Amino acid sequence: MSELSLATTWFLAARTMACGGDEPSIAEEAAAGLFARAILGLDEESCIAAKEQAHMQPLTLIDCMSMAGQLPRGTADQVMTGVMMIAYAAASMHPLQVRWASMLASAMCMTESRFQRCCVNARVVASMLPHEQEAIGG
Amino acid sequence: MAESGGNFDFLFKYDDRVAHLARQAETYVHSDPDSALFKLRLMVETMARTLVDMQAPHLVDSDLSIMLRSLQRSGLLGARDADHMHAIRRDGNAAVHGYDSTTPTAMRRLRDAWRVSRWYARSVRRGAKVDPPPFQAPPPPAGDASDAATQDRAEALEEAVEARRSQTRKALLLFSDQDDVKAMRWRLRGELRSLETVAAAAGEPVVDADFVALVMAMDLEQILEHPAWGRSSREAKGDVEKQFEAFKAAHEAAEREYLSQRAAIAAESRRGG
Repeated sequence: MSELSLATTWFLAARTMACGGDEPSIAEEAAAGLFARAILGLDEESCIAAKEQAHMQPLTLIDCMSMAGQLPRGTADQVMTGVMMIAYAAASMHPLQVRWASMLASAMCMTESRFQRCCVNARVVASMLPHEQEAIGG
Repeated sequence: MAESGGNFDFLFKYDDRVAHLARQAETYVHSDPDSALFKLRLMVETMARTLVDMQAPHLVDSDLSIMLRSLQRSGLLGARDADHMHAIRRDGNAAVHGYDSTTPTAMRRLRDAWRVSRWYARSVRRGAKVDPPPFQAPPPPAGDASDAATQDRAEALEEAVEARRSQTRKALLLFSDQDDVKAMRWRLRGELRSLETVAAAAGEPVVDADFVALVMAMDLEQILEHPAWGRSSREAKGDVEKQFEAFKAAHEAAEREYLSQRAAIAAESRRGG
């Protein structure tokens, strides 16, 4: 899978998680990009290209799940961890967010124990990522 | 009483101390850019402290970055103004820590401070009509002997650094500046509701929401020490720490490189002057 495909899958999945709850918060906003760069190891160009309106606009959640289903197991676990981290960063989870996590987990053929490990890791990561301005120097 | 003619005259009506610091920065911008940046850093800290004191007094003695984050979380401070304040914080910190700076850097931060001042005036006096005249870059003093070529190089360096920082920021944000987040949220929620109906009708199981809530409620220490999850979460913590430190180190190295290039130009400018 190309960097752009992974970035697209990530940002669409992350945006959906953030939008499934209350208004996306600063904490959620900041956590998503840092996760993409620091943990998924995506480069700046791919992150920016994935968010271009012309690229992202036509994609639906079905497309997102289809792309998520093609991720290798380790990467899928990282993406799920990041998606759950967004909920943990906001310290709340709404029914639509629970449904989104559930649908993504199904698309990734995730077992309950794999999903649980992602949740625990997400909780750990959410406690560690600082604000994006602090991460980019100074 | 303030003398008139500066970019920050309008601010005296709202906060005398903040306006005074801005006025001092404006005075020093050509003759002593380090001091100008130091004054601007103090100005931003004073603004943040005043506003945090109104909203979350327990954070009033925190680091500036924590106070700014708190103001952003409360919705009082927008992303663009936060960026300006962080830019002043960064360059002010560098000046305090002995990194030489140049007039083009100080001038950019002075302009940022002017933009932020309008927001600040509206925040300390709700409903106030704040409409200052456009920012005018203070002219160099008569007989200023700065070398134009050195100033141009400093300006070019600033341009390059701003472009790099802007690129980094664009990559990090969840939504781009052009996105209509409200419309996007509406669309994605609509899709989620439709999928929810289909999934429920098909008897699709829902993830264990109780487990998610349990993890959310647990202290980090409890998770790390838990017999079932402790080991993997400790490993995850170690991995994330390493990955995040590597990411941060790369950006810090880029910032250090910028500061040393800027210091070299400042030194050259001093020799030329």
